[in-house]
Amino acid sequence: MDTEPDYAALATVLGLALRSAGIPAGPDRCERLGRALVVMGATSLTELHACALATMVADPSQIEAFERVFAELFYPGTMPRRPPLVAPQPGMSIDADSAAPGDEANRDPAHSADAPAIQRDVPVPVEAPADETGDSGDCEDLAEFPVVRRVASAAERLRQQDFNSLSDAELGQLATLMRELVIAVPPRRTRRYRPRKDGVRLDMRRTLRLARRTGGEPVQIARRAVRSRPRRLVVLCDISGSMEPYARALLQFMYVSSRTAALRGVRDATRPRTEVFTFATRLTRLTPALAAATPETMLARAGEAAVDWAGGTRIGAAVRDFMDRYGVRGMARGSVILIISDGWETGDPALLGAQMARLHRVAYRVVWANPRTQSERYRPEVGGMAAAWPYCDAVVSAHNFDALDDLLAALSAPSSRGRPALPLPVQSPEAAAGLAERDREPVASEPAAAASAVPSDLADHPALESLAHLTGLRPGNPPRLENFRQETPLS
Amino acid sequence: MSSEFPDDLSERFPDVAALTAALGKTGYLAGEQLAAALFLAVRMGQPILLEGEPGVGKTEAAKALAAALDTVMVRLQCYEGIAAAEALYEWNYPRQLLAIRLAEAEHQHLADSDLFSEEYLLARPLLTALDHPGPRPAVLLIDEVDRADDEFEAFLFELLAESAVTIPELGTRKATFPPIAILTSNRTRDLHDALKRRCLYHWIGYPDTGRVAAIIRRRVPGASAVLAGEIAAATSRLRGLELTKPPGISEAITWAGALTVIGAEGLTAGAAERTLSVVVKYPEDEQAVREASLAAVVGDGHRA
Ligand SMILES: Nc1ncnc2c1ncn2[C@@H]1O[C@H](COP(=O)(O)OP(=O)(O)O)[C@@H](O)[C@H]1O
Ligand SMILES: [Mg+2]
Repeated sequence: MDTEPDYAALATVLGLALRSAGIPAGPDRCERLGRALVVMGATSLTELHACALATMVADPSQIEAFERVFAELFYPGTMPRRPPLVAPQPGMSIDADSAAPGDEANRDPAHSADAPAIQRDVPVPVEAPADETGDSGDCEDLAEFPVVRRVASAAERLRQQDFNSLSDAELGQLATLMRELVIAVPPRRTRRYRPRKDGVRLDMRRTLRLARRTGGEPVQIARRAVRSRPRRLVVLCDISGSMEPYARALLQFMYVSSRTAALRGVRDATRPRTEVFTFATRLTRLTPALAAATPETMLARAGEAAVDWAGGTRIGAAVRDFMDRYGVRGMARGSVILIISDGWETGDPALLGAQMARLHRVAYRVVWANPRTQSERYRPEVGGMAAAWPYCDAVVSAHNFDALDDLLAALSAPSSRGRPALPLPVQSPEAAAGLAERDREPVASEPAAAASAVPSDLADHPALESLAHLTGLRPGNPPRLENFRQETPLS
Repeated sequence: MSSEFPDDLSERFPDVAALTAALGKTGYLAGEQLAAALFLAVRMGQPILLEGEPGVGKTEAAKALAAALDTVMVRLQCYEGIAAAEALYEWNYPRQLLAIRLAEAEHQHLADSDLFSEEYLLARPLLTALDHPGPRPAVLLIDEVDRADDEFEAFLFELLAESAVTIPELGTRKATFPPIAILTSNRTRDLHDALKRRCLYHWIGYPDTGRVAAIIRRRVPGASAVLAGEIAAATSRLRGLELTKPPGISEAITWAGALTVIGAEGLTAGAAERTLSVVVKYPEDEQAVREASLAAVVGDGHRA
């Protein structure tokens, strides 16, 4: 009871397992299961089972697979016995046990002969309380359950897994976790005021108007506060080869975040209006795609726009393009700018430097997300990143789910203008030599330092072997946007 | 907006056991999982789709929930060709005509806005449920959705998503207390995925003999525990024969009622003989039962 299990993680992994068994338990259903668990305050497996059954299944034909996955996940080794369909009667001369299923199966898939636990309202694997009072003897603490722990640690791993080693399924499951994060930027104060009880300024006009109701006595003092408006968040995302897996994950994050805000009707001044652009050699405005029905659809569109990735990465040219086409029309002014790129500039770094200076002058804040900075030894010695560095207000890695915290903090921080530019990381002399080298290598072949700290091969962990098998968590091959596009079902 | 409604209901029903008990008081015996699903529907404000073969208690579940929640139940019975006019609202044309006549007689001018006002609006079940003034949300039973066509499903989907409707002449009406929507289907056809995706789901299976016996005792207080158990077992055996219309819970209840009326103490072959028409509806089914022998159906083998 005291330790509440990580509901979101539980829902995510159960969803993953069900999906691999062919039940279409998408992120929306996982989210609903998470909410159900919260509402019920689920602490036992019976409660988890009931919540999952009500939220993840939508057809009797899915119940069998659901029960199997649930049992495999939570009762490994104790596959459900097939329950008698009716309690056996002494001396029964018509064998209802064997007759009933055949009869049922003809009419309904749910009643197929090997469907367990459908006829009974209590799931087989869960020890059914014998008494009718509802006082179930089911007191196994959900959080303490070994599988729940394993699930939680699998989710933990998912959170720490580098975006470049996520399978499509894992990325889909991360969407559920991403929905819990809120992108906020500092609100923009306007010169306009609005009535507000706790406002600091006296609203003279309204006070007088109110006073007319009280015989001219200003009984009620009206106050007003500065009206604040949401600031714009402009995302410039590098989708060239080396960045694809990160771009996919972070674009999904942008998508999920803007959708959740819209769906929940959240309209406070810290929720940004988001503009998304992608680039490799060419700048593409992706904002309309944010309205797509699913993250998959949006990512597929991003993929379509990524036709030019073989041509290298021209970050400087992309920023110039953005400034010339959109920045001059006011999109950059006062905005929070997020650049997502590893800084591999195939063009002239000097151009990037100049364009960053231009951007930096008008923007409220410039945040750069560069997955390569996850390594403590990273130094922006040469090339694009070195040229851009002085114009960044913050540089974050945003290379896995946990690192998104830093990204959120960087986006919501008030402008640091007036303070000195971001200091370059201090560097040890011996690292300097090697790093300049390393800066020229593609990120995929980075030394194992970071990679081994975050074990990406789930199957290596004996405890997780069965889980990995079940859930189809397949580490390895970073998926590419092209693959993604092909696999995207119409929705 | 509706912050006081969940509070109220969450106080009344802090957990599934509390809801199960409240349903039990109304005479409805819900299985643990059905009770949990209903609990979630109430507490999450999410529509729920109940599916199952006829007679397993889908309709009754909605009625019992409304009674347990001490709120009104608004029922929309679906049928082929049902449309918004029957489900949502209609204008009271006769009254409107009358008003026009009256105005003419008095040489008054009637504006459209006078005619298409609240006064002439006939609320049908869906609007009634949306307009329900509280203090708790209404239970909206949309019964046998599978009978309506997919166009109507799409219409329902939107209504459930928004908890609001737009009446062109009157504007948008949003529910202050969004109803607790319970949809039922006998699965004569598959419902649209989009509608299903919006709903929680529970498949009500035919309960085991123990629960059937308990249901019989609730519904027919005159039936003894022994009789109820025997009827439940016999009904389940009948369901094992391949009948055109296998008996369900209602038939078991009616059977118990009939047996109680004729004063039967237990279910003998003779008593079954006299009451068989209550449980088995078709002549060919009756034929099949006789072929399997009534004694076997009532479990006479072990009694004598
Ligand atoms: N769990 C239950 N508890 C009490 N009565 C039940 C239960 N399930 C079914 N019944 C009874 O069975 C009959 C048929 O139920 P009904 O709700 O009309 O079935 P459905 O709508 O699924 O066709 C009703 O008379 C109801 O009283
Ligand atoms: Mg019914």
